[in-house]
Amino acid sequence: MRRVVATLGLSAALLWLGPAAASTSVPAQAAPAPAAQAAARVALPNREGSLKFAVLGDFGTGKREQYELGTQMAKFREQFPFELVITVGDNLYGSQRPKDFVNKFELPYKGLLDANVKFYASLGNHDEREGQRYYKLFNMDGKLYYTFKAPKQSVRFFALDSTYADPAQSAWLEKELQASGEDWKIPYFHHPLYSSGERHGSTPSLRAVWEPMFVKAGVSVVFAGHDHFYERTTPQKDIVHFVTGSGGQLRRGNINRRSGFTASGFDTDRAFLVAEIDRDELYFNVISRAGTVVDSGVIQRRKQP
Amino acid sequence: MAGTALALTVTMLLAPPAARLWPGVAHVAVQEGNGQRVNRDAKVMAEFEERVKAYSTLHRELESTIPSLPKEATPQQINEHQMALAALIAKTRAKAAAGDIFSKDVRALFRRYLARVFQGPQGRDLRASIMDENPGRLRLHINARYPESIPVASVPPQVLQALPKLPDDLEYRFIGDRLILHDVHAHTIVDLIDDAIPH
Repeated sequence: MRRVVATLGLSAALLWLGPAAASTSVPAQAAPAPAAQAAARVALPNREGSLKFAVLGDFGTGKREQYELGTQMAKFREQFPFELVITVGDNLYGSQRPKDFVNKFELPYKGLLDANVKFYASLGNHDEREGQRYYKLFNMDGKLYYTFKAPKQSVRFFALDSTYADPAQSAWLEKELQASGEDWKIPYFHHPLYSSGERHGSTPSLRAVWEPMFVKAGVSVVFAGHDHFYERTTPQKDIVHFVTGSGGQLRRGNINRRSGFTASGFDTDRAFLVAEIDRDELYFNVISRAGTVVDSGVIQRRKQP
Repeated sequence: MAGTALALTVTMLLAPPAARLWPGVAHVAVQEGNGQRVNRDAKVMAEFEERVKAYSTLHRELESTIPSLPKEATPQQINEHQMALAALIAKTRAKAAAGDIFSKDVRALFRRYLARVFQGPQGRDLRASIMDENPGRLRLHINARYPESIPVASVPPQVLQALPKLPDDLEYRFIGDRLILHDVHAHTIVDLIDDAIPH
């Protein structure tokens, strides 16, 4: 059923799930069909007892496309009951007055919020930091960076503040990563360490500080946003990096496919990622606004060096 | 090499507390081989830290007079809290002006140290990171609300490492090439340095 497509001799081996998964090489010119919002077919194991979660980034526009993707997420959840969503920032664009929290967050994801899906936010450069870190539905508890243990499986998330990566945060991160006894340590934040975006691209200044910590702690996957498309990198120092910045915004055709580290990309419509962790494997699907699975696979957990 | 390291250690041990808290002071002085400059820079830095401390104390005193935010605040409550605190600070610091905290000497010192950071091997990346979605030149006023609906320019870890640590209620930001001292809870501009990023 599965076939290995990229092991590169690394522990973060990537496997395809099989025929249910769409090709990851989605042609850049492939036009979406936003009107046809059929629910995506689940190409995940959907096992009992696994941790199921979604990843969303750069979404809070309040525009039609955001609402349509929110509807798609709720539809998908009927088949694949993810219990939490991590956000990689730019949760609200533009004005961030009280009514904007309703129009740019509470209404687009009403279906998920009504089903008690919890959102755990990290903040991007468009987010009004004070307004959001205390906002109940973002579960940040007033903190700009924080960690929490997932309700199932041996998983711990680390929500980081990449806009203001001060020495105190880096010291905290190193300590928390080392103290974490969980098998999966999953950092997520806004500015990508690796991205093929022509508009923004990678963030080398941040990479220089955080990547060695991730490598040392046995991190297998990192989620970020900022560039308005979806991208999965080939393993970089054994870590797979996801850019999931097309939750509401889109920068069409912005992936530089000559960057040398793109394993898969989708820059023709909005998309979100869903993942399932069962013991040592993380399965993922990336779903477009039209309900198409545009990337899928499974990542094997790295062992801590 | 070993001599430089030893000199640095000795300089730091002999330096005033401000210099020990902020290694950049001693580091640059060693390279310049100028003991007098160490003392002068440390003094300027100590003055800066005193002013920051005074502002922070005022901020906390004023914040304690308004209802504290509940742990699970609504956007409305957060907004009202910010506005109330900002109004109190503006009233109390009615005569505040640019340079009250970033004095002339502090501005010169910050520019010198930032210049060193940006001249380093990562300078180009750091500048690109700060200028990425940087809103550019805007008209800014002390005590005014931080401009709304604009992206927040990143402050890279290497830059924060080079600047003195701030209390939790303050942070550095960049708007254009200006370095802003931002009151986090009140969401206001406390002070600023023009041309902080070397051209």
